[in-house]
Amino acid sequence: MIIKLTIRGGKVMKKIFSIFLILVMVTSLMVGCSKTEDTRVDNSKETQKAEVKSDSSSKDESSKEVVLNIPHYKAGQNVGGKFFLPQVERFNKKYEGMYEVVIDEIPQDSYMEKIKQLAQQNKLPALIEGAEKEWFEKVIIANDRYYDLSNFIDSNPDLKDLLVVDSMMYNAVGSSIVSMPLTVVRPIGLYYNDDMLDVEGGIGSLSIDEFTTLLEGQEQKIAFMTAENAWTTSLFFTAIVAEQENGLDMIKTGVMNPVTDYTTDLWVNSFTKLQYYLQNLASSNTLGAAYADAANSFMSESAAVIANGPWMTGDFAPEASDKWSNDFNGDKVKGDIYPGNVAIASTDGYGWWIPSGLPEDETEAALAFLEFINSPEELEAYMLAEGGIAPFLTPSQEYLDELANNRILSELSNAVNRDTIFTPMATAVMPASVSNEEFGKLLPKLIDGTYTPMEFAEKLSEKAVEAME
Amino acid sequence: MQKKIVLRWIYLFIAPAVIIFMMFYFWPILTVFYTSFTTWDGFNQPSFIGLANYIKLFGKEEFLISLKNLLAWSAIAAVLHVGYGTVIAFLLYKKPFGWKFVRSVYMIPNVISVAAWAIIYRFVFNNEFGILNRLIRLINPNFEVSWFYESPYAFWAITLTWLFYAVYITLVVLTDLMAIPDEIHEAARIDGANSFQSTLRIDLPLIKNAIGTGIILSITSRIAMYETIALTSRGGPGDDTMNIPLIMVKAITDLKYGYANAASVIMIVLGILTLVIVDKTFRMKEKVY
Repeated sequence: MIIKLTIRGGKVMKKIFSIFLILVMVTSLMVGCSKTEDTRVDNSKETQKAEVKSDSSSKDESSKEVVLNIPHYKAGQNVGGKFFLPQVERFNKKYEGMYEVVIDEIPQDSYMEKIKQLAQQNKLPALIEGAEKEWFEKVIIANDRYYDLSNFIDSNPDLKDLLVVDSMMYNAVGSSIVSMPLTVVRPIGLYYNDDMLDVEGGIGSLSIDEFTTLLEGQEQKIAFMTAENAWTTSLFFTAIVAEQENGLDMIKTGVMNPVTDYTTDLWVNSFTKLQYYLQNLASSNTLGAAYADAANSFMSESAAVIANGPWMTGDFAPEASDKWSNDFNGDKVKGDIYPGNVAIASTDGYGWWIPSGLPEDETEAALAFLEFINSPEELEAYMLAEGGIAPFLTPSQEYLDELANNRILSELSNAVNRDTIFTPMATAVMPASVSNEEFGKLLPKLIDGTYTPMEFAEKLSEKAVEAME
Repeated sequence: MQKKIVLRWIYLFIAPAVIIFMMFYFWPILTVFYTSFTTWDGFNQPSFIGLANYIKLFGKEEFLISLKNLLAWSAIAAVLHVGYGTVIAFLLYKKPFGWKFVRSVYMIPNVISVAAWAIIYRFVFNNEFGILNRLIRLINPNFEVSWFYESPYAFWAITLTWLFYAVYITLVVLTDLMAIPDEIHEAARIDGANSFQSTLRIDLPLIKNAIGTGIILSITSRIAMYETIALTSRGGPGDDTMNIPLIMVKAITDLKYGYANAASVIMIVLGILTLVIVDKTFRMKEKVY
């Protein structure tokens, strides 16, 4: 009897243990899946702080500090990180014990894709910088997934006075402000090696054709980036388009209403000039050149000119001399705007935004960050580091003195005059997949002559129509 | 009765795996199928449009080029990639001196992520300072080819990034080779078969399932290949190296999830077709012993 009871008891224990094991397996699989995901997130990026929270934000229990984990590309080796990361440190120091921003590094190319994924998962971080126009309007604005910044702006009159009016209008949807309007406008120009290229009166005073003659006469080249999104090529291409008749108007209207037909004379003539530059006046490594290849070409004196924004000036400082070679020196670099007196700048675009539905303390922390980075001191620091103009900011004397010390930024600033044509980028009129992918993919065929400018235009138009369907 | 009780416990123990599979694989695949017949921006409600996505897909030149590329890569994978892996397996099977070391070293490239390899290959194939062109210039100093950005080189450059990484094929084939009983070889030797005949008439037929598996693995990898192309040629120049995953990602960028999922369904169908064709060709269900 005792033996039977023992045996029965043993079988019951075995069953209980088996059920317990099944439950543990199910639970561990569930937990294992989520842990793996968090570990992948933690391991795949460089984090700027030792502690990285696995949730999008968390509270430090001991001091009730609100911590915001913000994915961003301005970190690591990205050129924007040079200014942004110290700025985040300054914010953290100012709000120590209250708020802390931790940056999770994302490659720049993947930043918007990451944000879109997080949006799908309803896990948007508390602060996002910028957004693709179409996605932001169709997904975020259409579904009221943004935090309305109008009250924040109205309750900060000093901040409101600094905002660029055009940018305010662009970011207004009804009475709401969907993302932070601009306070600084950064005209994008180009840089040239003064030792290699002799320019009288500035490049901005020349037409495209005169600039072509200048380069040919002095046998100098431009460093173009033609791979990936062909960023520097797009910049120079914008100057070509803006100089065309009705080019500027087309770009300005096209930013709001994408253009899908590039077979007009305006575009084909622009592609023809672009092809000429890429075939005859581009550095030898142009075909398939990524940004690093173009920058390397300029900083090794293989090319005399490179188009890029004011954020590149950091590469010409003595601290960046490890990037230089072949007698290149940052002292030889001059900043200027494009032929045709064109500077690329746009007030049309979405800036920093906060998603709706966040806990109140996270929203407060995010708003504190926006207020901080738009304070006069931080704006001046930003302009000194990356260039630009804050049209409604009364600059301090310290800023003016510092600016005078930064020769290249001063040159860029002085190159802009009353008659300078400010234009958004020409590729901003194209659908996102065309400007980010197809334009760069088709460029090699324009360069090697497989496509004529008209064929290139037709192919690009095909892609644009497909993208808009 | 005892059998029923045992079966019940079996089902109970595999239940967690089945539940997880249903939740994370089966349900998403069903969603992909359903939404491929809709127009959907990934956030708002999808709306049914029938076969419109598929008709659009098959009408696009870039999709047809993708299919052509896939066919070519599949043929290269089935013959050269699997062939190479099988040859290495046979060499290792002979257990020459240092074979264990060679086997370990051969596996090292597979430890490195595909994305890292793609970046490495961008440098290897760089026209200016890439090692490949520098070697070629020892023979032809005027050689200038940007491999990933010129037709028709881009297709072959992409091919070379995976052609010689056949570790999984080698391991699968080697495992099967090592499972062949020695008695069979001994009997063949006694009957007067030489090494080549033994390989041709005994080893190869007995490892046909492993080779078939290798072909399936290789071709399905080509169907799903994304990082290598995205980080090098990006599908260019033009559409020369386009494949279906790139079309899918581009559609997602344009907020066309329904269209992207139609491309995914095509990928799934191609994968299943590969399975069926290879299975029938190699008669993988038949026992080899």
